[in-house]
Amino acid sequence: MKNFVWRRALAVARKEVYHILRDPTTLGAALVLPVFMVIMFGVAIEFNVKNVALAVNDSDQTQSSRRLLDTFGSSDYFLIHRVTSPHDAVTDVSAERARAALIIPPRFEKDLFSGRGAEAQILVDGSDNSTVGPVLSYVGSIQNMASQRIGDFDPTPPYEIRTRFLFNPELNSRWFVIPGLTVVVMSILSILLTALTVAREWENGSMELLLSTPVQPLEIIVGKLAPYGILGIIAVVFVYIIARTVFGVPFVGNLLVFSFGCLLFIVTYLAQGLLISVVTRKQTIAMQLSMMSGMLPANLLSGFIFPIESMPKFFQYFTMILPARWFMQVARDTFLKGSGLIELGVPFLALIFFCALMIFLAAQRFKRDLEP
Amino acid sequence: MNDLAVEVSNLSVRFGDFVAVDRISFTVRRGEIFGFLGANGAGKTTTIRVLCALLLPSEGSVRVGGISYDHNEEAIKSKVGYMSQKFTLYNDMTVEENLKFISSLRKLDAATYEQRRKELFDFISFDRPLSTIVRDLSGGTKQQVSLAAALLHDPEIIFLDEPTAGVTPASRGRFWKLIRRLSEKNKTVFVTTHYMDEAEQCDRIALMREGRIIALNSPEGLKAATFSTPMLEFTPRATLTFAEVSAMARHAVFLFFEPYGLRFHAVIKSEPEWETVKGDFEKRFSIRRIKPSLEDVFIQTVERRTI
Repeated sequence: MKNFVWRRALAVARKEVYHILRDPTTLGAALVLPVFMVIMFGVAIEFNVKNVALAVNDSDQTQSSRRLLDTFGSSDYFLIHRVTSPHDAVTDVSAERARAALIIPPRFEKDLFSGRGAEAQILVDGSDNSTVGPVLSYVGSIQNMASQRIGDFDPTPPYEIRTRFLFNPELNSRWFVIPGLTVVVMSILSILLTALTVAREWENGSMELLLSTPVQPLEIIVGKLAPYGILGIIAVVFVYIIARTVFGVPFVGNLLVFSFGCLLFIVTYLAQGLLISVVTRKQTIAMQLSMMSGMLPANLLSGFIFPIESMPKFFQYFTMILPARWFMQVARDTFLKGSGLIELGVPFLALIFFCALMIFLAAQRFKRDLEP
Repeated sequence: MNDLAVEVSNLSVRFGDFVAVDRISFTVRRGEIFGFLGANGAGKTTTIRVLCALLLPSEGSVRVGGISYDHNEEAIKSKVGYMSQKFTLYNDMTVEENLKFISSLRKLDAATYEQRRKELFDFISFDRPLSTIVRDLSGGTKQQVSLAAALLHDPEIIFLDEPTAGVTPASRGRFWKLIRRLSEKNKTVFVTTHYMDEAEQCDRIALMREGRIIALNSPEGLKAATFSTPMLEFTPRATLTFAEVSAMARHAVFLFFEPYGLRFHAVIKSEPEWETVKGDFEKRFSIRRIKPSLEDVFIQTVERRTI
């Protein structure tokens, strides 16, 4: 761009800082929101299922059945309470006093010793699908353990399959969620704040003042991006510190690589927000569009909550046009795997591409005239 | 040096199918106070925005301060000062912060800025502290600070788009004093307004309707050109019915008959004709001869499509 003048960009940036400092809501939202979100996601949203209420009806009352129960009870996953009949167990599940029920029939031990194979029944509340999967997998593993413990007369299986999860051996959901939160927090801050700023200038008429001076679009864009970029980075630092100190999330990667990813992602989203407000010129529409195009994908399609691998094929490809998806990979892999620039080559190239594309589009679409 | 501050020939501005400005041509002399008068949507603001290089013309040629449009937008922007219809300073910033911001965008150095600010504050008699937040200023003072902001880079031509809309009559009077002083300093002032008393103070006025200039003259010239026969003012002696009023408006002796507050302004077709019916009207009205006002001109030319 011809005649780019740093002084003018700086003047725009300084003006933007005045706006931020004099609007406590923006500043508050920018700094408190990330902290609030990390704590909320970190404490309240637990993707690990623990202490599942389990209603147990043991009609057998033998050594074998007690062993089976012990196995369930001694794991952290279930909180056992006994009921007197199989019918009561079912009632408990339907009344949501229990999420699952274990029913041991009267002939359990006899069947076991006779070699016919013993059966016990597990009922799971299928309406709550966030627990079905985990409960079944716990039941499976407990069953394995139980059959070893109960059937001590059985020959030990010749081999044993053990699943070990790399990088997050305890499958601690917090470790997985909090690095992903950096993506969500930044997406909310950066896209929303900038989407509002240019639209605001159009709405209150100050855009006419700006455009009646020789200031260039790129100067306005750089001047507007810088302060919000810094605000975004401060928010990420907050998230990082809370992740490390309060929740003890490990960080095994290179901090520089992570910061570089953050910077790229922030600028991309800031530019996207700018593009939205340049095109819409209305704060309300800008807000809705930035929610749709920035925050929703960051939450739902970036792999933050739903793993990309388990999405339908179309959506797996669709996520590739979302910067949030690529930054999610950078954030998680630098935190947990310690990946460097080389391993993260594809996500980084994608982010650089989207970053350049958004800035280019925003500058292009920034009309220098006041055409309504 | 060119004596013309603004030269416009065959300028058209279209937004899609809508023609906002339709092949207008005019020139403005240096040091002139040039008024734009017209209803909302007549194309005044659009024309001004083109002249300030805020809007691209669809057709026609424009020269501002001797610079043609396609030559250099930035050069035009440094020659003109623009004060928009909306209040455009930042309400959450102080007077000083606003002015400094604009001076940075205009690349004024610190010393020039200080000097200009002092001159302009003197000019607009601004006596509030510089650290006053703009929001806390009165409407009239805000307009004056906006004017100072538009004048910061000492432009040759100043465009004021309805500068006195919504301020008190006293502030309007003060603002027009400033406009006249600018003109005395050989600055060209281009102003749009809805107030007829303000339009009277312009050197020349362009009347706009539906994107076209339908008359362009000095206020006196406009009146003379619009009304060649005398204008009378009718003050009713008793309350009139609607039927009586519309009967008068259709009366063959009048070229123009319009309510004016509780009175009526009328233009007669000819003196001899008037003499024959005069006595009849004098029973119901007290009648006196008046000079037409710009408002009469405006009603006659802009609001009436046919006579």
